[in-house]
Amino acid sequence: MNAATVNPARMPVYLDHASTTPVDARVAARMAEVLRSEAEYGNPASTSHGYGDAAGALVETARAQVAEAVGAQSEEVIWTSGATEANNLAIFGVAQYYRERGRHIVTTRTEHKAVLDPCRELQRRGWQVSYLVPDRDGVLDPKQVADSLRPDTVLVSVMHVNNEIGVVQNIAALGAICTRHGGAWLHVDAAQSVGKCPIDFASIGADLMSLSAHKAYGPKGVGALLVSQRDGSRGRVQLSALQFGGGQERALRAGTLATHQVVGMGLAFEIATTLTSVETARIAHLQQRLWHGLQEIGGVLRNGSATRAVPHLLNVSFEGVEGESLVAAVREQLAVSTGSACTSASAEPSYVLRALGRSERLSESSLRFGLGRSTTQADIDMAVAVLGREVKRLRNVAGTTGAARGASGI
Amino acid sequence: MNYSELTRRYFESAAAAGELHGPDVFRGAAGDRERGTWVQFDLQIGQGGVQAARFLAFACPHGIAICAWLAETAVGKPLQRNLPESAQEMRRRFEVPVEKMGRLLIIEDAWSAAALAAIESRASAPISRQ
Repeated sequence: MNAATVNPARMPVYLDHASTTPVDARVAARMAEVLRSEAEYGNPASTSHGYGDAAGALVETARAQVAEAVGAQSEEVIWTSGATEANNLAIFGVAQYYRERGRHIVTTRTEHKAVLDPCRELQRRGWQVSYLVPDRDGVLDPKQVADSLRPDTVLVSVMHVNNEIGVVQNIAALGAICTRHGGAWLHVDAAQSVGKCPIDFASIGADLMSLSAHKAYGPKGVGALLVSQRDGSRGRVQLSALQFGGGQERALRAGTLATHQVVGMGLAFEIATTLTSVETARIAHLQQRLWHGLQEIGGVLRNGSATRAVPHLLNVSFEGVEGESLVAAVREQLAVSTGSACTSASAEPSYVLRALGRSERLSESSLRFGLGRSTTQADIDMAVAVLGREVKRLRNVAGTTGAARGASGI
Repeated sequence: MNYSELTRRYFESAAAAGELHGPDVFRGAAGDRERGTWVQFDLQIGQGGVQAARFLAFACPHGIAICAWLAETAVGKPLQRNLPESAQEMRRRFEVPVEKMGRLLIIEDAWSAAALAAIESRASAPISRQ
């Protein structure tokens, strides 16, 4: 669709907040102020004049806001272009720095691609990676991590809130396990966490944590990697830089900072943390309404734990419905994510749902509902109505109405 | 993904979805729901050819649209074992990605199975339902 022809009044109900969130109006306004400022457009790294000092002060204020939001120290925040870059910096940075100590990494099958793909690349370069499989609810038993550690393990990378099913892993338990091991650093992809559940970097025992602005009503194109400065019994985690050229960000991430972007992230995180408890309670109510409504349709299966998850995500498989058709049938009215790649005969069903034991068909016929600040009860009721109508229609067309029929039994 | 106007129209209406029953109805099916695509055609055959056609399809929007179009356009035409136009021609008509060619062949197989059942039945007397 041509951007010039988009009519917001005719846009579908947005239930894809786990993919990205709209920029908070206060954040956008503050970013615009910074962009228009006649005194703060200097290079934040320039210390020889007031323009640079003014921009640098904005960057440091934002750094403090982000740190405060996640229980970290300001000096632990390294700006990046987003969580993907933060994940890459953490994984490749640790692997490279500790390559003489060991070349074994532990992660899970349900991580984001921004963790799995770097791990695959390290395997190609000679590292060994253990991929742990959570239980059918998506919950990782910390004992699995403990059992997988080896003397040459240098990194454990486990996400906090899963981006497809919303399941929250017990990071504090993993932190204790890694500390006892002595040689394995703990990286946590927390791209989905801010504003959905509390995080305290100082107490959970993580050494590295990836953050994203645009999942928390901030701008796209900015994120951060928290690098612990704690002096534990095993010292501090060290990283090798992946890009060079100016020594910014403690020489871990060279490049001139985008002042307005980091200012936006700082304010977005400050707002998100102040709203977390109120918003989470409101969204939990809406999610229950959505789930109860979908259950009325019949033949729906919830993916992931209902009790160990944030309420902002609900992932459901619809029996007897082809995945691509389901998305096509609702896309004019609902903006949701799907478990199907939806592009070709080689469409890859959600690897997260497959890892939880869902069949290929049920993985493809899944929808992820991402609820957020703009979600209303009317949105939920509309989603239930649209899905009720379209699922019934597609089951009629597929001949799968009522009891499963045919040899396939779906 | 984006679909052509023709694909959307037939996918959304799917007017000929369903089943037919009776002694002059012949059925053919192909594919497997577990493998992502399954199609069934019911053809009601009379002296003048196809008198009614219905389909069921566990398929992507392109697959459903093509089945709906086939079932609609077949009525009133002489019975033929082959599709009214080739899978390649239907792919172009509905702007189906080439990666989905295998799904179109499943539709072709289902159609051919129904048509063949009717043709074989007419060749043997008395006429019996498959």
